[in-house]
Amino acid sequence: MMNDLLHSQPGWYNAAVFFVMGAVLLLVVLGFVTYAILAERKVLGFIQLRPGPNRVGGKLGLLQTVADVFKLLIKEDTIPKLADKPLFILAPVLAFSPAFMVLAVMPFTEHVQFADLGVGLLYYVGISGISTIGILIGGWASNNKYSLLGGMRAAAQMISYEIPLVISVVGVILFAGSLNLTDIVEGQKNVAYIFLSPIGFFVFLIASIAELNRTPFDLPEAESELVAGYHVEYSGFRFAFFMLSEYVYLFAMASLTTVLFLGGWNPIPFLEFIPGAVWFALKFSIVVFFMIWIRGTLPRLRADQLMEFAWKVLLPLALLNIFLSAAVKELFLK
Amino acid sequence: MNGDMIAFFILALCAIAGGVMMISSTNVVHMVVSLIFTFLAVAGIYVTLSAEFVAGVQVLIYSGAITIIMLFGIMLTRHDKENEKKTPKLRQFAAGGAILVFFLIMYGKIKDLNFPQGDVELHVDNTKKIGIELYSNYVIPFELMSVLLLVALIGAVVLAKKDEKEEGGGKE
Repeated sequence: MMNDLLHSQPGWYNAAVFFVMGAVLLLVVLGFVTYAILAERKVLGFIQLRPGPNRVGGKLGLLQTVADVFKLLIKEDTIPKLADKPLFILAPVLAFSPAFMVLAVMPFTEHVQFADLGVGLLYYVGISGISTIGILIGGWASNNKYSLLGGMRAAAQMISYEIPLVISVVGVILFAGSLNLTDIVEGQKNVAYIFLSPIGFFVFLIASIAELNRTPFDLPEAESELVAGYHVEYSGFRFAFFMLSEYVYLFAMASLTTVLFLGGWNPIPFLEFIPGAVWFALKFSIVVFFMIWIRGTLPRLRADQLMEFAWKVLLPLALLNIFLSAAVKELFLK
Repeated sequence: MNGDMIAFFILALCAIAGGVMMISSTNVVHMVVSLIFTFLAVAGIYVTLSAEFVAGVQVLIYSGAITIIMLFGIMLTRHDKENEKKTPKLRQFAAGGAILVFFLIMYGKIKDLNFPQGDVELHVDNTKKIGIELYSNYVIPFELMSVLLLVALIGAVVLAKKDEKEEGGGKE
């Protein structure tokens, strides 16, 4: 449906439709973020044998995040006196807008997709790299040593882990023969790529957690070392934007994992009567839960271990994965 | 005036504004941020020319590269004092005149430039076509490039390794 619209004559009506669709997606994502934060706190609570949020909005704390966000929005917006003001204001924008932009190419089901780009995967990886710049600028513009350290760490980490991330998906591209995300999902009709390139999936999962700056790779915001990391000086809604971009990336990355390796909306054999959207949501939720689980279980890495792990373990594994994928494709899938 | 033109003008304006801001600002981080705008706008122009692959690669490569430039800018330059040297008036006028001449020559040439009508099917499967071209007609330059990059990579590793050894030797 979206594709028909994109190919039709441009006009005010179409522009309005696009705007409304974008707004709806934004609302869905905000809803996800609200309850992802709650789910994260609840699951972490269960892992640590405590109830988690249970006061605001009933026994389950269903309105806890809403209250937290409301608090953030009515907080005073402070800008440090010696901060670089234009960059300080620009940084949350640069960090958040790519997070939402990458969702445009994500195929949620056969019909729900905003832009069917030929180079969808490349678009995702390229655009998501811009966020690093936002984080680094935020860290620098605050004029605070802790935030600068956080920003530097974020830049080093995200650039190092972007390489295994990109190389690990080359296997998937080889199997699908396309960079288009819809084609990649269509290619998994019979068997999901997690079974064809398990090493690729392993590398991708680790690198994606590192790209998301989540524990065990949360060095840019290691609160025990850096006070709060790159966003020390941010308060109110600017801080909320950094937080939001982190969780929107969680949404995007979990969707991308589902699309690339878990078969997107394709059902498990014999359960075809369940609609594609439900399958997508199910696989997506498993990925999100896995990320929360990892966060509750593993301790933080040291900075030198982090770099060694990316360059000496993940990168060779990802290169090996390309080789194996090419061999598998030549030998078995011809 | 169609949508293509409007998109081109907006993107071109962003690119030029980024370039001008890059030259005129004195703060190194501000320069890098203006550079980002130029690169992103150029990527947008690639998209309007049906070269999505090039645009994607441009954003992918330059977002990483710019972050590195910014890191170097932060680490290797001094921020405490601003050293502003006044350029002499005469040199300013000379540079302005040279730019004007350059502009006139370029404008005249571009105005006379006439491209033959190109392929209209550019936007269909262009990523695939790039791949086929690279591995059939341009395979030798492509492989040479990869060897060059490999040499650079190994060179970097060797340099870094050597440094470490010397430091280790110094400590002993």
